[in-house]
Amino acid sequence: MTGRSGFSVQTLSVFAALCAEPTGWRHGYGIAKDTGLKSGSLYPILIRLAERGLVEARWEEEQPAGRPRRHLYRLTRDGLAQAKAALAEQTASQYHPASAASRAGRRRVAEEGT
Amino acid sequence: MDRVTRILAGLVGASAGLLPAARREWAEAMLAEAGEVPAGAGRVAWLGGGLWLVAREALIGRVMRVMTFGAGAAGMAWIGWPGGSSNSATPLNRVYVVGTVVLLAVLPVVVRRYFGPVRGGWAPRAARVGGYALVLVLIAAKIAKDRYGSKLGAYFVIVPGLWGLDIVLLLVIAGYVAGLLILTSQHIRLTRSGLPIGIGFGAVTAGVLYTLAPLSVGVDPASPSLKWWGLAGLALPAATGLLAGRLAARQARPAVLTAEQGARQGSLAACCAMATAALLLAVLTSVTIALFPHRVPLQLGPTGRGNSYIAGGGCETCDPNDTVIPRGLRHEYWVELSVGQAGQMSFALLLLAPFLGAGLGAVAGGFASGSRGTSGRGLGGPHAPSPPAPSQPHRRLRASDATVGR
Repeated sequence: MTGRSGFSVQTLSVFAALCAEPTGWRHGYGIAKDTGLKSGSLYPILIRLAERGLVEARWEEEQPAGRPRRHLYRLTRDGLAQAKAALAEQTASQYHPASAASRAGRRRVAEEGT
Repeated sequence: MDRVTRILAGLVGASAGLLPAARREWAEAMLAEAGEVPAGAGRVAWLGGGLWLVAREALIGRVMRVMTFGAGAAGMAWIGWPGGSSNSATPLNRVYVVGTVVLLAVLPVVVRRYFGPVRGGWAPRAARVGGYALVLVLIAAKIAKDRYGSKLGAYFVIVPGLWGLDIVLLLVIAGYVAGLLILTSQHIRLTRSGLPIGIGFGAVTAGVLYTLAPLSVGVDPASPSLKWWGLAGLALPAATGLLAGRLAARQARPAVLTAEQGARQGSLAACCAMATAALLLAVLTSVTIALFPHRVPLQLGPTGRGNSYIAGGGCETCDPNDTVIPRGLRHEYWVELSVGQAGQMSFALLLLAPFLGAGLGAVAGGFASGSRGTSGRGLGGPHAPSPPAPSQPHRRLRASDATVGR
């Protein structure tokens, strides 16, 4: 199921988790806990977002004691802009479905007019 | 439960090797996180998701690729393999079918060994799929055209020289496939916009040239369309090289692109543009000739001895040349001769176009970037191509990774 922005509901939930701390790096299990997504759903989403340049990933630089290094994620500048736009659109359509629909209709008419 | 966890972690670690190198670290990431997940059902579910990820990303994608290629190759063989024993093109066509399938299957393995796997992003993958489809269609159309042009097999003897020419063409096709695979591989540092620009410009040029001469005949020194071909041969690589060099310089900011790097970007993009134009033009022309052979105008044979020679029963491609074609077969012979020869200009372009593109594109790309300064610190910046991201390649996955920490 995809929203008007073209992102699935699951992807929007990943955006929401990453937007909560836009400059900080998050790890996969933390995002999974925030979104409620299983690993089999979360990682394909992260892969697609990284391939589209919306998410950047890196490994922890220091080797922590007692556990392996983690793979960390955060939104790129482009990703943050798209995530905010998509989440704003989702919020608008949830709380003002009529106005969101009319906005979409007006945009369609304007696009057809041009 | 602990044993199940270990088995699953071992399976994820072992099967991660099936993933393309660029995606392997995602399985490693999931395995590294597994230790954070509370032991028990949650961790088993997490690792189960890891197995699903590997299956989905590696096996399904690989199976889909093999099936798609198999279907395309089978389609080409279905068109190309049949042929009567009296048709002189039949043995050559079968060599093309086998040769093309072998080339398309083997070259990716060889290129991967030396240039790495496909680059990330949609454009390189789409270019590979599209390039493979074009090559399969080109060979199928060429075979259909040649089969039509050799029905009177006794008068179209395939002499050793013709075998040699066709082997050269097969090698040129091999060069195109190898070039496509190399240009879209990880080790070639082409900017993100270089490939789409090259393919886009090349496709538009091919469309325009095809509209001017759909059957590729009439492109002789006296033909008015020849000047457009010449103009395209100069303008396409120059424009592509300039744009690629300019965009590479913009993407390299705040670092400065050196003239040498600009020339390299321009050369690669223009080579890609010219190769795309030549390949697409050959495909469009060959398909048109194969579908509408009766629209091909009658033309002189390879020796160009004149209409009266052929109309008088002379056989240009016979060995010996003094064979006389029976009166009832002369017109059909002439039609088949014309169809067999049609489109040869587009095949000749296949050989020349990439080299012309690389040369002119290098000059244009160097000019576009050189005018902005030559003391650069190198091609960098946020959108510049970068070597594969550092990961944990030197450390093998261990099943114990999933159980540490808790």
